[in-house]
Amino acid sequence: MDLLPVLVVHGGAGTVPRERSEQSVSGVRSAARAGYAILRGGGSSMDAVVEAVAHMEDNPSYNAGCGSVLNVKGEIEMDAIVMDGKALGSGAVSAVRNVANPVRLARLVMDKVVFYPPCGQCAFAQEMGISEVPPESLVTEYSRMRWKKNLEPGANPVESQMGKMGTVGAVAVDREGNVACATSTGGMLNKMEGRVGDTPCIGSGGYADNQVGAVSTTGHGEVIMKVTLARLILFHMEQGHTVEEASDMGLAYMKSRVDGLGGVVTVGPQGNWAARFSSLQMAWAAAQKDSLHYGLYAGEHFTQSIDDPH
Amino acid sequence: MPAVIVVHGGAWAIPNNLAQDSVNGVKAAAREGMSVLKRGGNAVDAVEGAVRTLENNCVFNAGHGAALNTRGEVELDAIIMDGRTLASGAVSCVKNIANPVMEKARAVMEKTVHVMLTGQGANMFAESIGMNTVPTEMLVTQNERKEWEKHKNYVTGVMEDFNSQWAHDTVGAVAVDSAGNVACATSTGGIRNKMVGRVGDSPIIGCGGYADNSSGAVSCTGHGESILKVTLARLILSHIEQGKSVAEASRVSLKYMGDRVQGAGGAISVSPSGQWAATFTTERMAWAAVHNYTLWYGLDPDENLKEPFTY
Repeated sequence: MDLLPVLVVHGGAGTVPRERSEQSVSGVRSAARAGYAILRGGGSSMDAVVEAVAHMEDNPSYNAGCGSVLNVKGEIEMDAIVMDGKALGSGAVSAVRNVANPVRLARLVMDKVVFYPPCGQCAFAQEMGISEVPPESLVTEYSRMRWKKNLEPGANPVESQMGKMGTVGAVAVDREGNVACATSTGGMLNKMEGRVGDTPCIGSGGYADNQVGAVSTTGHGEVIMKVTLARLILFHMEQGHTVEEASDMGLAYMKSRVDGLGGVVTVGPQGNWAARFSSLQMAWAAAQKDSLHYGLYAGEHFTQSIDDPH
Repeated sequence: MPAVIVVHGGAWAIPNNLAQDSVNGVKAAAREGMSVLKRGGNAVDAVEGAVRTLENNCVFNAGHGAALNTRGEVELDAIIMDGRTLASGAVSCVKNIANPVMEKARAVMEKTVHVMLTGQGANMFAESIGMNTVPTEMLVTQNERKEWEKHKNYVTGVMEDFNSQWAHDTVGAVAVDSAGNVACATSTGGIRNKMVGRVGDSPIIGCGGYADNSSGAVSCTGHGESILKVTLARLILSHIEQGKSVAEASRVSLKYMGDRVQGAGGAISVSPSGQWAATFTTERMAWAAVHNYTLWYGLDPDENLKEPFTY
């Protein structure tokens, strides 16, 4: 049975406060529908993942685009990556400011530029006709509240991360069998200025290769980098493991070797997919064969028709 | 357990007028790295020491002698990684600081909870720990200023640039100490006339370098975008994990990079048991290694010269 096309999104691995769990789940479902609509219409996996992630960047509930966490200075610096599995093309931005959709900027980097992109500067964005937005438009009350709380003595930054919705991302396989991934984040709460996490680092925040599959990661950025989690999972798939096994092996290794938690969405070129996490929760949704699958807590797997309006 | 150090000074078509200096430079760096190990330093100390020596040498494109971006400024990237804990420190797009790798990247690794800092934030961190900034002119050599002027006057794409032998080079080192710990370090000024703020492969963990006590350490050089696309350092180590020798793993990975994304480059690798290799698909790569009281070095393909190393 044909499993293509397929799209899987995540809205961050961590500990979602109960009062925010509904918006977390509805947001990933909405993003999955938006991305899947593109695939159903014959669009590319790259277009689909960018659309799904941009959707979540625009949603103030997530730590990406609007709703991003604040750095130690109370400002927003965002990272994003896209990767296309056919030619291994990739585009990334790091520590970028005042842009509503870093994932779209990363896409432009891949398409327009031979080089990797500006770190922190918006000159490229302007050249591409992407307008700068006022920094305040990206800041939510929730992020400002968490930033203030984290300035208090004795606050534990890593634990505070896990209490906030995280990075967003998506992987997809289109009808042609091309895979793609996209990941976007505001990074770590109260991070040092200029801190770059796993998200824009190819092999860590994401990786896509038509011969193997695609992964988008979320969790504690520094530990994801130490094990180059996305690439590690794909190495396991190259060795013959299923999307689920490979994802679990990568996450287990990250936990045992460097004591870090996270989550991934993974897809194989034939359309097999997995949404796995070692943290308490990860909001995720997958669209395939006109069905929408989703969950938040470990073991959860709800299904409904993709066309169901709720 | 015998200690090993391997260094490289960049994989590209090194012109004859730079050849002797490049070889002398990598030999000096390898000697320095091994001296650190002999004095009781660990693998991280050794790669830091070796790369510092390379950075301070104007013939290489790192620190002094680094290529200028489109604004005529010096921007530097670097990474260091400790195979024992997988701890890593990287900086990208840092300006006006000499020796970014060694002090800065290591400081990111040891003095922050982060793995990578970029741009202004990276500069501010350096200042906060008392690292001096130096004026751009101090880091800009006459040769680089001339090259920059030349390139400003006509546009060349990266591939053309690379193939026409005006490619960037990068410096790096890998080591295994007597305790069996491995480490890597890579530093670069990036491609000449690159777009302001471009981040290449060097500071990206798994691409410019990677170190893991369970498999080995790698430092890469060559066409940055290609190295990124195949996550070259991590790829080489995955082949070692699958049972290939260090040399075979490097060869297979560089071949894959050439076939899949038409990129050329080089890599130095070392395993925890002391196996090492210096492999490249570019015309030349200046490299040197010290192992068992022998200093090995080369420049052209299949060149494997040696002389005794006395400490």
